[in-house]
Formats: sequence, C-alpha cells, structure tokens
Amino acid sequence: MLSYLFFKGCTIPASLPNVEKLALDVLPEIGINLIESDEFTCCPDPIRLQGASQYFWMASAARNIAIAEEKKLDIMTLCNGCENTLAIVNYKMKSNSELKRKVNEALKEIGREFQGTVKIKHFLQVLKEDIGLDSLKKMIKVPLTGLKVAGHPGCHLLMPNEILKFDNPVDPEFYDKFITALGATPVDYLTKSDCCGISLSLAGDKEASHQCIQNKLIDVQLSGAQIISTACPACFNQFDFGQFMLSRDNPRLKEKPIPVLYAIELLALAMGRSFEEIGYNLHRVKIPVEERV
Amino acid sequence: MKVLRLKYEKNEILEKNKAIEVCFKCSTCSKFCPITQNVKKYNLENSFITQLFEAEKPEALNDVWMCCACEKCVISCPQDTNPTEAFTNLKEKSYQEGYAPEMVYRLVDQLLQEGTVYGIKFTNLARKRAGLKDMEKNEKSMQEINILAEKTGLKKKEDQK
Repeated sequence: MLSYLFFKGCTIPASLPNVEKLALDVLPEIGINLIESDEFTCCPDPIRLQGASQYFWMASAARNIAIAEEKKLDIMTLCNGCENTLAIVNYKMKSNSELKRKVNEALKEIGREFQGTVKIKHFLQVLKEDIGLDSLKKMIKVPLTGLKVAGHPGCHLLMPNEILKFDNPVDPEFYDKFITALGATPVDYLTKSDCCGISLSLAGDKEASHQCIQNKLIDVQLSGAQIISTACPACFNQFDFGQFMLSRDNPRLKEKPIPVLYAIELLALAMGRSFEEIGYNLHRVKIPVEERV
Repeated sequence: MKVLRLKYEKNEILEKNKAIEVCFKCSTCSKFCPITQNVKKYNLENSFITQLFEAEKPEALNDVWMCCACEKCVISCPQDTNPTEAFTNLKEKSYQEGYAPEMVYRLVDQLLQEGTVYGIKFTNLARKRAGLKDMEKNEKSMQEINILAEKTGLKKKEDQK
C-alpha cells in the first residue's frame, strides 16, 4: 500500500466534497492510502494569488510542503492548480539555493524549514508513475465497456512540462490511456488541450468564458462522446455549472447536454459504485448516462 | 496583418523579463492564447498579448488578470520567450500599486482569515449536502500564514486604502 499525505486544496472540499469522500473511500482499493491533515492552507492558487505576491505565494506553498516533509510523506493532490503551485515551488526551491535561502528565512519565523525531501504528485501522476495503468486495469471490478469519454487533462497539469514532466502538453495522451484502463472508450476531439476558460469567468467576462465552454462541448458533441471527464476541479466547475448556465440560452447544449465526471468518479464507477453512490445527483448537469452499451 | 510593436524602451516588462527581447513579433502566441481566441475585443491583429505589451501602463489594466497561466504562449513561442512569466510580474505590480480588481484583495483577505479561498461557512454547507464532516479553522495555521504574509510584505486590503 502506498501512503500519501492528502492535499485537498480549497475547491474540492468546497464544491466537490463528494469527490473528497470518494477518494478516501475508493483509492485504498487500488492501493493508495491517503492520510489527512488539517494543517494545510490554500496551495495558493497559481493564477491570482501568485500574481498578488510571488514571495508570499512561494513561502506559503513551501510551508505546505514543509508539513509533508515533517511527516516524511509525499503529497498527493486531486487538483491541477494545487499540483501546479506545489510542484513549481518544490522544483524552484530545490534548484535555486538563493531562493531557498530567502524563503526559508520567512519560514524560520514560524519554526519550519523547507528541505526538499518530498515529491508532489497529482492523482493521475500517482497512477502513471507509482501504480501503473496495467496494474490498475487488473484491479477494475466493473469495466465501463461501451462508455465513450472525452478526456480533458487541463492546462495546469501539462505545463510547465519541464517541471511536471507528466504528458505531452500539445497532444496529451495519458488521460485517454486512463480511460482505456477503466474499460471505457476514449474519444479524440479537436479542442482537447484547449483551456476551459475559468480565468475568464473569474475575471468577470462571462461571455468569453461561455465561448470557451461552448467551443469545447460542441466539439465533444460532434466527436460522439457521451461525457467529458477531467481531473481538475476548476475545469469541472466550468463544464458543469458553466454549462448549466450557458445551456439556458444555447439550444444545442440544452438539447444534448454533456455530463461531466471527475476522474475519481469515473474510477469509482469502474470499482463498482453506482451513479447514486458517486454523488452524481450533486452535479448540475445530471442527465442519465447510458452506461455499458 | 499589423505587426506587433512592443514599447520596450519605456516598459518595465523588459527589465524583469529579458527573454522578451528576442521576440520577433510573429503572433504565434496569440493564436494559441485562450483570451485572444475568446474575448470579443481581441483578435489576431489586436491581441491580448500585443495590447498589454504595447500599453504605456499595462499594470493598470484589469485585463492582465485574465491570464490563466496556461502557458500555451510558452509552448508555442519559437523564440522561447516566456509571456506567462511577464504577466505574473505584471499582476504583481498591479497588485502592489493597487490596480488589481477588488476581488483579488478580497481573496487575499479571505485566505489570511480562514486559510481557504472559499469561506468555511460556504464550504460546510456543501459538505453537509455530501454527508461530510465540517471543516474547521486551524488557529495555528492561521497564525503561521499571517506571519508569512507580514514577513514577505504581502499587502492587505486595508493597506490599499
């Protein structure tokens, strides 16, 4: 059994608590033991809080990493944003001794120190590097045969590639392999590596944010996929809540909505959970998904 | 097509982001930028990146906060410049000088008060629906994060006024 310190972040506990619950419930079945901690604070997010002050952003991310170091555990996150921040800071602090000295100076005030002894991994990276998709495939209880899934890996898990080293940022393929391992069929679509538009929504440009969602979801419709799946809570909210709002005045999406399933929810279905058990009723877009054709 | 004319001379962007000097203004970054693709006022001839880099005082434009650091511009740049880094530096300047949207100052305040950006009250409403136990504020963590904010010189909402 592999043990990780579970970095929940802000968005999962607040807007996808069912995913947090599922992770703790389902992941032990595939050999991942998650240890909880209430000492963490926001990662902080790479879009806005990094912009507010890069020094503070680094120091508070380094504090989170230092907590894992004290417990001698690698971190696992379920969120692309958290992974992006923590992995970048971990990498920069390890490779730049001047920066490490500067940040540790701040950490000293709270009695902590960044040493650079742990790894930061997104759930998908754990699957790729520590579990392996071949072993995952053997552990699947109910293969999702016939389910056509469009994968959306999300920007912040792909770039900066020299730090995350996860997948090809231009033509990502791991998510599709993950879908295949669960027994479902991955469907390719043109805008797969495009942005979900969350930052446009956060910046208050609803029209542009909706344009992003529409570009992707109409493409998914055309590709023949039944659902879209992602492992980033920000992207999830765009496709779920964003689509719900957009479909009010978008006849194409109103007529044929595209449900979203989080990577953990998809895994849970393949581990024998029902739609009810994964918390599908908490989604905004919840039309029945025709499973296993 | 209009050629990018970056006002390097007057602009502090270059000061912090030397890599931009080798930009040969091909606009490839803009072709992949989700902002230029989706925000109405921007297009390939008048892109997000061009507009901000051409502005006299780009940090004063709210639009700089639209950048989601997806780094599509970084992947696509044939000259290995790093526009995303330039935008992060611009955001920092914008925040420091009080030009950032109100929402960003509120976000920082929220983080320093509760350690999460969503508000524990809101978070717990959703957790109750999913049958999960409440999230509680960790006082020691809050103390630590506030010391870090002070030590790193992070400006707060009240410093702004």
